[in-house]
Amino acid sequence: MIWSWIPGNGALIWQLTYENAYLGVVPALIGLVISLPLGVAAARWRWVQPPVLTVVNVIYAIPALALFIALIPSLGLTDTNVVVALTLYSLCVITPNVAAGLRAVPPPVRQAATAMGFGAARRLLTVELPLAGPVIIAGLRVAVVSGISLASVGQLIGVASLGYLFIDGEQRSFPTEIYTGLVLVIALALACDLVLIGVRRVLTPWGALS
Amino acid sequence: MITFERVTKRYPDGTTAVDKLDLEVPDGKTMVLVGPSGCGKTTSLRMINRLVEPTEGRILLDGKDVQQENPARLRRGIGYVIQQTGLFPHRTVEDNIGTVPVLNGWRRSRARGRARELLELVGLDASLAKRYPHQLSGGQQQRVGVARALAADPPVLLMDEPFSAVDPVVRASLQDELLRLQDELRKTVVLVTHDIEEAIKVGDVVALYQPHGRLAQVDSPERLLAAPADDYVAGFVGFDRGIRRLSFYGTADLDLRTEPVLGGDATVAKAAATGLPWVLVTDGDGHPRGWVPAHRLSAYPGDAPLAGVPLDGHGHAFTAGTDSLRAALDAAVLSPAGQAVGVDGAGQVKGVLGYDQIRAAVQAAETQAAASHAARTQAAGTQAAGSPASEVPPAEADLAAEGDRS
Amino acid sequence: MSFFSWAWDWITTSANWSGSGSIPQQLLAHLGYSGLPFLIAAVIALPLGVAAGHTGRGGAAVASLANVWRAIPTLGLLVMLVVLLGFSPLTWLLPLVVLAIPPILVNSYEGVAGVDRDVRDAAKGAGMTTVQQVLHVELPIALPLILVGLRTAAVFVVATATIAAYIGLGGLGRFIIDGLASNEYGPVAGGALLVVILAVLVLILFAVISRLTVPAGLRKQGRPE
Repeated sequence: MIWSWIPGNGALIWQLTYENAYLGVVPALIGLVISLPLGVAAARWRWVQPPVLTVVNVIYAIPALALFIALIPSLGLTDTNVVVALTLYSLCVITPNVAAGLRAVPPPVRQAATAMGFGAARRLLTVELPLAGPVIIAGLRVAVVSGISLASVGQLIGVASLGYLFIDGEQRSFPTEIYTGLVLVIALALACDLVLIGVRRVLTPWGALS
Repeated sequence: MITFERVTKRYPDGTTAVDKLDLEVPDGKTMVLVGPSGCGKTTSLRMINRLVEPTEGRILLDGKDVQQENPARLRRGIGYVIQQTGLFPHRTVEDNIGTVPVLNGWRRSRARGRARELLELVGLDASLAKRYPHQLSGGQQQRVGVARALAADPPVLLMDEPFSAVDPVVRASLQDELLRLQDELRKTVVLVTHDIEEAIKVGDVVALYQPHGRLAQVDSPERLLAAPADDYVAGFVGFDRGIRRLSFYGTADLDLRTEPVLGGDATVAKAAATGLPWVLVTDGDGHPRGWVPAHRLSAYPGDAPLAGVPLDGHGHAFTAGTDSLRAALDAAVLSPAGQAVGVDGAGQVKGVLGYDQIRAAVQAAETQAAASHAARTQAAGTQAAGSPASEVPPAEADLAAEGDRS
Repeated sequence: MSFFSWAWDWITTSANWSGSGSIPQQLLAHLGYSGLPFLIAAVIALPLGVAAGHTGRGGAAVASLANVWRAIPTLGLLVMLVVLLGFSPLTWLLPLVVLAIPPILVNSYEGVAGVDRDVRDAAKGAGMTTVQQVLHVELPIALPLILVGLRTAAVFVVATATIAAYIGLGGLGRFIIDGLASNEYGPVAGGALLVVILAVLVLILFAVISRLTVPAGLRKQGRPE
């Protein structure tokens, strides 16, 4: 383990870390935004759920590398390719959680809201979605953490991320570089996870659901 | 006033939950819908605020068809309390209570102020305002639910088995709370329960349902006990309705016997001289201490004070004038002498009541109740009350005169 | 040219179906590279997860595991082992097994631990031994979640075995890596498509298994994973 290599290549490492973080977080957030209406639809109309879940399961089964490759004809070997692919994955993870979280809202609470004169939209925005919050954030956590890890695979199609450290390290038989990359990816992912746990605590301080 | 006009609810699978219901809920009174599971009482309730829509017929709220109103606006004018409370877990108690006022456009600070008033009104400490529902006990949550329903001061309050999910002690105190609130607020309350005791305790009018969406009898609780319309009603109301009906008869006009009552400083000889089988001994303040049977007196010298003689506990006294005949009867049963001890508000003995007197009082009360009821129904021009409600239920005057329940 | 036309052209070229490194050969190899780690992982993780779930202990460890495993980049792990161990069987086996364990472990734990406490009490109270409780009551009820965990792991190994080609192995990833290196998009797209088809077949397989083994009363369960 050659420790001096790390500060020696600080700029590169930092750049790659930033790229990886971007590739992990941004698609997850976009996925969240798209998942919300999808999940609401799946929760509201029973018949929407099976097709949505099936599609989601199939897409999630597509190996990352294969998905990147499938997008090459339309998106080339660019950042956007990876972002789109990871957004799709995030959708697959967050949408079921949105639907499940909404459905887990206790019926008496929903009924009380209706009985008090909440319209459907207001009830969704001010009662049901907040209560589904913890479950939705759980999905977001999975999307972010796995996104950060999967982004490294993008290096195989030339999209810069901490995966560069793996490939370069292997080619040069240079363990230090590989370990650095490993530690950074894991640390980055766990750090984002912790941040999201904090966000959940702040946004949803009410504890038990019933 | 809420009116059901030939309201029917039929479900697509063929079940009829409510069958041509005609019912009038009087203003400012508590109407209880009671009946076995599946009889349609909850469905009826939920048609008032349009959580369920009738298949036929209409429901009028102050003369206006509820189906012509915008549902959300209609519901903001109706308070709704359910068994599982449905409190928003993600909002504090005060924000839960302030929900409808805020919906109506109040500023949050004003709504919270109102929430605090209501917390006090339902008997909760203002310190609970900032807590979350899951931090409260079941009874407290129910009270918050009621406070929330009352926040926008709606004229109508709907309650669906509100007290069924709490233990009996808490339930009794919540029922008392409701009675107290009604004394103060005089809302039009429609309450659904499967518990006939609860119906009798809190209701001004009780609508008893038959199993399939029709009414068996609509009457005051006292009339329900006194004159059940048929065997079904009699069975539902319970076999001991005779004694329970005594709760509605008062003890105000009764003459209590004072001969058996003697102070602790009276002598044994004086007690023996009364010739009574039992003597009640009081203490210096006039509070009852216990009964002495006559045969025990012979073991003591005539000049000994009664206070020195061993006494049998008097059991439990009733407050003469305010307690019901039922309390008096209960006191008599608990007394070793077979006589009820009547005390005043300060606990001082006013006299005693024997079984014979109680029996006479019951007969007198029944006669009077039947007579006044007949007179009123005749005056109102309707048929004898208690028939299945295709008729209008007894006029309001009935409800005021039926005596205290206690 | 689109992804599908590239892939289709390549797959339908008969030359690719014979000789060394042919499609059927790599397909088989791929099944081996995914099947073996999956089985090993299942054998390790299932009993562990069920046992932990039954006793209720280790919940915190399992929860942390659930978070951490997704953070581990498979490519990095693979590459690290190449450098450490050279090209031994362990190099590809270890990372695939290690990364297939968590979903099975976590879901088995959650599935068994999540069995209604009243149901477990009833089983105990009826006089069942521990083994009977687990086999007759807890496992059947936990089955939907366990199958989801197994399915996740299966799909995962099929996908990751693709990357194993990067360190010189065969399998469907061979087409992809080689094609990328020589700028031939035919094998790249074709290999990718084959992997996707394989993954979807795994999904279907699990759906069938689930339909056959999960009693109707339980079928509504299953968490998003």
